[in-house]
Amino acid sequence: MIFSPYNTVYFDNAATTWPKPLVVRKAVQKALTDYGANPGRSGYKMGLAASREIYRCRETAAEFFNLKNPSNVVFVQNCTLALNIVIKGLLRNGGHVIVSDLEHNAVMRPLYAISNYLTTYSTAGISPENTDETVEFFRRCIRPDTKAIICLHASNVFGTRLPIREIGRLARRHGIKFVVDAAQSAGVLPIDMQADCIDYLCVPGHKGLYGPMGIGMLLCGSEQLLPPFIEGGTGSYSIEFGQPSELPDRFESGTLNTAGICGLLAGMEFVKGIGIRQICEQETAHMRYIYNQLRDMKGISLYTPCPDISRSAPVLSFNIEGRNSEETAEALSRKGIAVRAGLHCAPCAHRCFNTISTGTVRLAPSVFTTEREARYVCRVIRAIRSELK
Amino acid sequence: MSSLCFYVSSVTNAMRGKSVLEQNNIRAFISRSTDETVQNGCGYCLFVSSDFKKAESLLQSAGIRIRGKKQMNDAL
Repeated sequence: MIFSPYNTVYFDNAATTWPKPLVVRKAVQKALTDYGANPGRSGYKMGLAASREIYRCRETAAEFFNLKNPSNVVFVQNCTLALNIVIKGLLRNGGHVIVSDLEHNAVMRPLYAISNYLTTYSTAGISPENTDETVEFFRRCIRPDTKAIICLHASNVFGTRLPIREIGRLARRHGIKFVVDAAQSAGVLPIDMQADCIDYLCVPGHKGLYGPMGIGMLLCGSEQLLPPFIEGGTGSYSIEFGQPSELPDRFESGTLNTAGICGLLAGMEFVKGIGIRQICEQETAHMRYIYNQLRDMKGISLYTPCPDISRSAPVLSFNIEGRNSEETAEALSRKGIAVRAGLHCAPCAHRCFNTISTGTVRLAPSVFTTEREARYVCRVIRAIRSELK
Repeated sequence: MSSLCFYVSSVTNAMRGKSVLEQNNIRAFISRSTDETVQNGCGYCLFVSSDFKKAESLLQSAGIRIRGKKQMNDAL
C-alpha cells in the first residue's frame, strides 16, 4: 500500500491521480530549475530551452491523440477551460447542440450560462449495452441549426463509456462539429482524433495523463477559427492589437505554465511507456474484483454491470444501504481510504441513474493501485456495513 | 558559408519548422529575429545552411507561414 503523510489508501483518482510518477515530479523540478525563463519571448539559451520542452509536449500530445499538427495543441489551465473556449466559441452567434445525459457540469454550466432563445441544447440518452441505439438517440436530436455534438467519453461517476467513434462519424456525416470531454478517459481509453472524427478534444493533464494540476489541453482538429477566450501578449505579432489568428497563440495569451507542461510531457511519456491498454486492463481488474466482492455483500447498492474494458472506464459507484454517500465516505476516510462521495459535479448522470437524492460513493483506481489496496477497501466496506446491523 | 533565414511569427512555428526540416534531414537553427522584430513586433528566425528551396517548400507544405527570408553569411 502507498502511505502518504496522511496514511491514505487513495481511490480518488477520478478527481486527480495520486501519487504522481517519480518521472513527473522530477520533470517539474527540472523545469523550475533549468527552464525558468519565459518561453516564446526571448532568444537566449534558457528561453529557447523552455520553448523546446513546451514544443516537445505539443508533439507528444499530437502523436498521443493522433492529431496532425502539433501547433493545434493548445495549453490551458484545465479541461473545464478548454470546454468553455469551445462551447462559448461555437455558440457565440447562437445555435443548437446535443449533449449526452451523463454530462459533467464542465459542459452543462457553460451551456446553461449561454442558453437563451437563440442558444439551445438537446439531451441524448445512452444505451450502455447498445452502440447503435445510442447513436440513434443522438441522430434523432439533430436539427437544421445543430452546430455540435458535445459529449464525454466516459462518465466520471459510473464509468459508462460512450461510443465516440460512431457518434463522431454521425456528426461528420451531418456536417456538425464533434467535441469530446476526455476528462475521465485520456490516458485510460484509446482516443484517435482522426479516426474518431473529433473536432475538439478537451483533456485534463492531472488525471489519466499523470501531470500536475493546473495544466490541460485543447486539441483542435478543426480549422474553424474560434474567438479567443482571453486576449493578451503571446510573444508574436506584438505590433498588432488584434489577437493572432494562428494556433496555439490565439488561445495562449500570457505566460505559460512551463512546469506543468513539462510534468504533463513526462506523464504522457510514462503512460505511453506502460501502454493505455495495459493501464486500463490493470485498473479494470481492480474494479472487477471490488465489484464482485460488493455484489456478494448484502446491503450494497451497485448501479452498473460489472466493469468491462469494452464498455466502461475503470470507475465504480456504490452505496451502503441505510447510509448516505457522504457518511460512507467519512467512515472510509476514518480507515484511511480516500474516495469522493456526493454528486461529483455531475447531477445529470445521477438523475439518469436515480441517485440524485443520495449521491454515490465513487472508487477510482490508478496504475499504482495494488491488489492489497483493493482487498483492504472491500474489507473496510464490509466492516462498515456490519456496523449497521 | 552562407545560410538562409526564414522569418516566422512565433516560437511554436520556429520549433515546428525545425522539426519538419530535421525530419527531412535538413539541419536548422532557431534564434530570435532582429530586424523583423522592429517591423512585426516579436518573431523568430529559422536558419538553414543548405537545400534552401526544399526547405522553403517543406515549411510551406506544413502550413508554416514564412513572413520573410534573408540570405545571411556565417550564421551557423
